[in-house]
Amino acid sequence: MSLMKAPENTPVWTDESRCKACDICVAVCPAGVLAMRYEPHSVLGAMITVEAPELCIGCNDCELACPDFAIFVADRKEYKFAKLTDAAKERAEAIKNNKYMTLSA
Amino acid sequence: MAFNYDEYLRLEKMPTLWCWGCGDGVILKAFIRAIDKLGIKKDDVCVVSGIGCSGRFSSYVDFNTVHTTHGRTVAYATGIKLANPDKYVVCVAGDGDALAIGGNHTIHGCRRNIDITMIVINNFIYGLTNSQTSPTTPRGYWSVTMKQGNIDPTFDGCELAIAAGASFVAREKVTEPKKLEKVFVKALQHKGFAYLDILSNCHINLGRKNKMASAMENLDWIDEITMPKKKYDALSDEEKVNILPTGILKEDTEAEEYCDMYGKLQEVYQGKRDKITPADFKKVI
Amino acid sequence: MAREVISSGNDLAAMAAVDAGCMFFGGYPITPSSEVMHTISDLLPKVGGTCIQMEDEIGGICAAIGAAMSGVRSMTATSGPGMSLKAENLGLAQMAEVPLVVVDVMRGGPSTGLPTRVSQGDVAQAKNPSHGDYKSITLCAGDLTECYTETVRAFNLADRFMQPVIVLLDETIGHMHGKAVLPDLEEVKAGIKPRKTFDGPVEEYRPYGVAQDEPAVLNPMFKGYRYHFTGLHHDAMGFPTEEIETCRKLIDRLFRKVDEHRDELEYNEEYKLDDADILLIGYGSASLAIKEAINRLRDEGIKAGMFRPITLWPSPEERLFELGQKFDKVLSVELNQGQYLEEIQRAMGRKDIQKLTKTNGRPFSPQDIIDKVKEVF
Repeated sequence: MSLMKAPENTPVWTDESRCKACDICVAVCPAGVLAMRYEPHSVLGAMITVEAPELCIGCNDCELACPDFAIFVADRKEYKFAKLTDAAKERAEAIKNNKYMTLSA
Repeated sequence: MAFNYDEYLRLEKMPTLWCWGCGDGVILKAFIRAIDKLGIKKDDVCVVSGIGCSGRFSSYVDFNTVHTTHGRTVAYATGIKLANPDKYVVCVAGDGDALAIGGNHTIHGCRRNIDITMIVINNFIYGLTNSQTSPTTPRGYWSVTMKQGNIDPTFDGCELAIAAGASFVAREKVTEPKKLEKVFVKALQHKGFAYLDILSNCHINLGRKNKMASAMENLDWIDEITMPKKKYDALSDEEKVNILPTGILKEDTEAEEYCDMYGKLQEVYQGKRDKITPADFKKVI
Repeated sequence: MAREVISSGNDLAAMAAVDAGCMFFGGYPITPSSEVMHTISDLLPKVGGTCIQMEDEIGGICAAIGAAMSGVRSMTATSGPGMSLKAENLGLAQMAEVPLVVVDVMRGGPSTGLPTRVSQGDVAQAKNPSHGDYKSITLCAGDLTECYTETVRAFNLADRFMQPVIVLLDETIGHMHGKAVLPDLEEVKAGIKPRKTFDGPVEEYRPYGVAQDEPAVLNPMFKGYRYHFTGLHHDAMGFPTEEIETCRKLIDRLFRKVDEHRDELEYNEEYKLDDADILLIGYGSASLAIKEAINRLRDEGIKAGMFRPITLWPSPEERLFELGQKFDKVLSVELNQGQYLEEIQRAMGRKDIQKLTKTNGRPFSPQDIIDKVKEVF
């Protein structure tokens, strides 16, 4: 098993040097944890942001769906993930409807 | 502990040259996870890729890697495997590489049932060379060589593989990476030719002129045209048109594998057994 | 202790390959080369090697190159039409520096031509079978014994220069059945010079990072040294690159690794040249008729001699130039329309070389050559 240690008390973290702003991780996140922020000097003018880590349920969908090894999820032994709430689901929906961009612009 | 992909990647080559959102990266990730899950040593793997965006797959993984001429992955892999029958040899080819120019080699790799895992990254277009029609491009779609609508019929690579004799045939898609990892694990463990039709998104080439210009739109389209095999089988013939079944479509663990049979032939020449006759096979004709 | 055998050219090439340590053959049937595959299909499995008849010519060479990439001595055999099909992948083997022996038993061409009849029509093609810039190494067997010895030499040269080596036979010699005097098997085994490998620390391994007059050092696969093969321009680890200097140096090295070591490649036969007035130049099976013609001409008092290049490419241009200075009367004898004549003229810097050509699928008789000599000189 090829393993690495997660940063302290972090459910999900990103590598911005690898993110190509494809929106896929934001689209698959069920809990509204992720959104794209405007970043004029970055590819496609956007960059991934872990906006609400406290909502992360540790489903791992973002990590598995990312084509660029740019987002990682901690192991269940390293972090106590949240449960999925309706509020989180609504937040995820809202971000999707906002073209995956951050709601706080 | 989280998964450490870096151990399997050629880090100096990152980030990949694939477009934003390209399914190739998802397939790469699932493949790495499968190799790790099986505990296979990096030295025991050879990845042979063809020409196209999928061809760059081999330069990103820290295995023994070969980037061949267009359409010839299975032929090169056959030589590598026969010379090293106890190693893992994996082909990665696009839909054009595997089914157009490489069609003949794909057919005979299946026919021989040689122990190779063939990952066909099917994005329904020629991506790297900019949008030419491939054998799987949907009819009526725009391609750069059929700008007024593609008239070329498509064909189903899985049905071809089954008919040609592959002993493991499956179809999965990049929108279900967990299933992707599982099918790679099964295929790598399977002794015989494993043909894997992996549906992927090329929103930059196929998608952009066919009303799905973003990764998510192209991925949603893939979900719309697929259905798990069990559900698919229950459909009527009309309902089945324009839907591709996913999952394991064929799994034969009894079929004779080519390297094994060649090993038996070597034993004949070395005086260790009698010559091969029809009685050594289940199916002779 | 030399071995005297009765065999045919094709069979001898197959035997030579296995004696020289070949462990893989990938091929496809094509007249008049198929017997190489038939024979080797019995010889290889005995020694734990593999012979596979692939689904087409291209599959044949690809499987052979794949096996060679993985580290074993590997071979394919074909004829003209097959060489044409294999061209693209010959180019990959040149670019990626993969050692391989390609036996080409020439037949009447072009196209389907005369499948069961002789020609020497693939000589020009052997110099540049594939597109782009690279340096071909091509040997041509002139009798039954050389079908064996040149194949053995080809394997050693392929490993020395890390590229394909073409061994030209032709239908006459491939199918000729007679006596050959082979070197002692122990001598052949002792003479096997395998490819250079690197056994230092993995982090320091640079397969393509070698001196400008040296071939790549490609370790066998699966042994702890992982790198990349590609037909694209590549860097020291084999990864694709378009960098200006790297690309320039790569092509430069593909040429220099051969050009600066021609002394290891050049191999000719000079037959009764010392006191000759007339120079005949020929190779392959045509040289057998030339020798007989020379002997008969000398009986009549006409002093002819023969220069026979055995390594055709790179050509023995310096020796050709010397001979061009020494001999006024030069006749090139080829079973094609003058494919090597062009090279002779270029090397000698002369336009007045006489030529005897034949492309109707029939071999030269000594009389053909005698008549021509008398006609032009």
